[in-house]
Amino acid sequence: MSIDPDKGYIALLGWSLNAIDAIDRFDRKYIVVAPPWAEEYCQQNEIPYMSWDFDRLNERSHELAHRLKEEGVDVAIPLFEETVEWAGAINSVLMDNPRLLGQSMLFRDKSLMKRRAQLGGIRVGVFEEAHDRGDVIRFLKRVNQTLLKLEGDPNDPIHFKAFDKSGTAGHRVIRTPEDVDNIPDEEFPALLESHLDGWEFAVEAWIKDRKIQFLNISEYVTLGYSVFVPATPELESWRARITEEVEKLIETFDIDFGFIHPEYFLTSDGKLYFGEVAYRPPGFNALELIERAYGFNGYQGIALMFDPKATTEEIDAFFPEEVTDAKGYAGCFGVYPRRRVISRLEVPEETQNHPYFEFHELASPAEQKVTKRTAFGTHWGLAYFFGENPHKLRDLLKAQEDLDFYI
Amino acid sequence: MTETRPEAARLADTLDVAIERLSGARPFAKQRHQRPVLDVAARLAAVPGGLDALYARGLAMEAAGLFRGSDWDDPSRLLPQLVGQTLQSPDRLTVALEVASLLRLLAIASGGGAHVNVHAEHARHFLTQVLALNLPHFFDQTSEADRQDSAGTAMRRDVFRFIADHIGFQDVLGILVTEIWRILEQRPIQVGPVKEMITQIAIALTREDGGIGRERLGADRLVSALFGPTNECIDDPGIDAYQMRLERLDDTALRREASGFARAMHDTGLVSDYHAAFLRWVSKYRDASFAPEALGLGGTGLDSYRKFKPLVDKLISAAVHPQTPQAVHGLAMLLERGVLHSAPIAPALERQLSMTLQPAVAARIELAFGNAVPAQTRVLAGTLEVMGQPLGVGQGATPPCQSARAIAMWALNDPDFLLHLICQVGEFDSLLMHFEGKAIASGDLPAGLAAGAPIDADPVSVLLVPHLDRVYAEMGRICAPRGGDPHRWINPEFHGWWVARDCVVAVDVLTGQLDDYDGFVTRFCQGYHPAYNGGRPVIHPQPAGIAVTDASARFVGWHAISILRVAQDTEGRTRIYFYNPNNDSGQDWGGGVTVSTHGNGERHGEASLVFEQFVSRLYLFHDDLIRPAGAGAPVPAELIESIRTLAVDSWAASRIPQDLALAGAQ
Repeated sequence: MSIDPDKGYIALLGWSLNAIDAIDRFDRKYIVVAPPWAEEYCQQNEIPYMSWDFDRLNERSHELAHRLKEEGVDVAIPLFEETVEWAGAINSVLMDNPRLLGQSMLFRDKSLMKRRAQLGGIRVGVFEEAHDRGDVIRFLKRVNQTLLKLEGDPNDPIHFKAFDKSGTAGHRVIRTPEDVDNIPDEEFPALLESHLDGWEFAVEAWIKDRKIQFLNISEYVTLGYSVFVPATPELESWRARITEEVEKLIETFDIDFGFIHPEYFLTSDGKLYFGEVAYRPPGFNALELIERAYGFNGYQGIALMFDPKATTEEIDAFFPEEVTDAKGYAGCFGVYPRRRVISRLEVPEETQNHPYFEFHELASPAEQKVTKRTAFGTHWGLAYFFGENPHKLRDLLKAQEDLDFYI
Repeated sequence: MTETRPEAARLADTLDVAIERLSGARPFAKQRHQRPVLDVAARLAAVPGGLDALYARGLAMEAAGLFRGSDWDDPSRLLPQLVGQTLQSPDRLTVALEVASLLRLLAIASGGGAHVNVHAEHARHFLTQVLALNLPHFFDQTSEADRQDSAGTAMRRDVFRFIADHIGFQDVLGILVTEIWRILEQRPIQVGPVKEMITQIAIALTREDGGIGRERLGADRLVSALFGPTNECIDDPGIDAYQMRLERLDDTALRREASGFARAMHDTGLVSDYHAAFLRWVSKYRDASFAPEALGLGGTGLDSYRKFKPLVDKLISAAVHPQTPQAVHGLAMLLERGVLHSAPIAPALERQLSMTLQPAVAARIELAFGNAVPAQTRVLAGTLEVMGQPLGVGQGATPPCQSARAIAMWALNDPDFLLHLICQVGEFDSLLMHFEGKAIASGDLPAGLAAGAPIDADPVSVLLVPHLDRVYAEMGRICAPRGGDPHRWINPEFHGWWVARDCVVAVDVLTGQLDDYDGFVTRFCQGYHPAYNGGRPVIHPQPAGIAVTDASARFVGWHAISILRVAQDTEGRTRIYFYNPNNDSGQDWGGGVTVSTHGNGERHGEASLVFEQFVSRLYLFHDDLIRPAGAGAPVPAELIESIRTLAVDSWAASRIPQDLALAGAQ
């Protein structure tokens, strides 16, 4: 596609080959802002590039914003959790809107985020901040006392989420004091949440002019293992309520444009609890699943949302109808070795021969000894599935958990 | 419903999704999307109808960028020899990549589409070569049970069959037959691989009776030479049955057998097992004229046979067995060369007839050739073959080429010395040679270049090479401190007095840069070219060094050969005929330099190049220090220039010193 000069000039913050590939195929001028190690690669592949080290000197965000402004960039898009506040700071300069920086800080701090949501009348579970292990133990005890558990009864778990880690990285389920001992120091401070028994799912929402342009519901089969889109009709039947909740988020967080990725719990009594929200593309290759199901590229959609020069017509033409336009159900399963000692990768027969199985991105093992799984999200690669029946797909994804991919 | 569709159709749909993603990705993002395509392709290839689906998508996979960033991206540079090995890789994605590549070439060959680097004819040629090289796998007669055991083997065979079905078997057979004839023209001593290929052809001919046509004739000649060259063995009855038939034949029929065997042998260089059995039988027959007839002897050979009949009979009895049939050819050629008339040869052979091998030596021979006949018999048969076809010596798969070259040179030039060496090693498992007066005993030395003794060469090489390598390495060690190219001193001492004592090298050994290259070329022309050396022929084979280049004219390495003669070919071009210890001398050295092995006046086993082309790859030769007056005519500048151009366009490309570059510019 050739570049349309009437459309916006986009900066991508962070290094994601998938995102760069998608935007390179789109019709907008773009530049990748990434650490110096990416420079040579960008030169070799003619990828427009600006060198920036996001790890250091937050105070210099102003300098980057002005360099991008001189370059003629209209908007910056964060690709990772770590670049969310950079994007906020840059866009507040580029768009002359200081509010954007403050907004981005809310997304970066799970505790601030939760309080803000609570203030906005959004239902959240019991939560608290933890600065050390003592805080965690206290919270675990108190939650279980509230639940009228007796000494010796198995604890109800609590969830531990490092403040500034994205997605399932740094997300731990804590049941015993021993679990608390296993938390590394660098994961503090963190947010502690009570466990909600219910249906957990995620939403991907493309937002422009404070309106939802496309809303996808990603149904988790098991958190940290498997997800599929669109959701089952049972979960989709809640779409109107979910949309309302996301609109509340837009109001509460004052979101004019962009892309959000909130997580919710639907409890058995039909209440929706807000978990957390991120202002960046989701992990677990959810955008790829959406592309497989609907046929549009999520990154390009995000670019449309951020681009101040995008038109309504363009946006309407870009997105299909939710649910009804899906060609099928796309899911993926994050494989983690079940055995402690393994020798090779072998996709199980029942998976290999299942008509829904498409392909996998699993690598052969480099080491024979498997380290114990700690936090969520440390899978060894994804296996992809696609089919016509959501229930069949869900059960299939669930069944993968009992299979050995590494033997 | 998706679930009830055939697996191939379903996987093909999935493959299309993966191809589409790969196709959409920008070049820098292709790599991540290649894996899914290969993953699905690997599964597709294994199901019925899967290869058809892959074949239909061959060009789409190529266009999508499946081969981008890998060696397969430029199919014009792919080597057919590597395909069989790649298909056996334990990594299924590598196998899938090779299968996808073959099927895309098949699509190109069938006119399904064009490729920047490869046209239909090239693709077709490549695939037929792949099939010819993998004939054994192609005819794997595995049962259904075996297939279950080894899905990989079955898949590989299915791929070859699929290609053959589209390309046509006729082409494969044609290429294979041409290839075998080309190798046989060089009369190698080691005919195992060729016999293996002919056996595969024989199986193919019985299986694929229809649709072979004109290729059949060449193939039939090969098969019959090996399995049934005469009237009485054409039905391949087995040795015992054949010998019983001989008892009942009259002289006319026997004479027809003898001439039939001789014709087939001299036609192909291959000897049937029946021929060996026949020769043993007739050598004891009352009419002594059948044996020379079965050997197909000419004037010289017949003369040798008559004069040395008792010895020849002993040699037949000791060396010629159905397990050592090629000894018949060796013996025939030995007689034809007339070397028995050289005084020491007959007694030296008598000595070998009575030689007892050291147990360690016998063990080495049995390791290489088994124990169907005693090691002693193997060595004697091998000796006859080397003496009969000196240029048939090949180095096998071992790195050292000097030892093979030396054995060939002695067999050609100094067979008495070779017999002396064989006897030394056979009886003492050690070799005594001298370097500038200093005795070197191989038995006292550590292993040389060939750490393990070669076992894939002829018996004489298996016997001698481990010792020759050690001696050669020791001579190198002695020369190491001297500086300069050690061949200067080693070559004459190692090979014999006839190696000219001056040594001219094209490169400066220290820097690797060309060193007075024009002077080097002039010197060679005045030493070897009849127009500039006073018309003197090459008297003895002279060791020389070649800078071997690949088909793209890139430098591969230094290699030892010997210059045999310089003469005009049938077209009137001056050619250099040389011996290359490589197992197959016909090689493409790039830049239009293709080594010829027949059709340009070569004798069996000789390689040849037009004079300029040869010199352009030469980097070391031996020459006499003093020339008679009148020798050494001026060499035309154009000749030197044309040689220099060929050299700097190939191996010497990065070896041009400053001053030569200037000289070239002027």
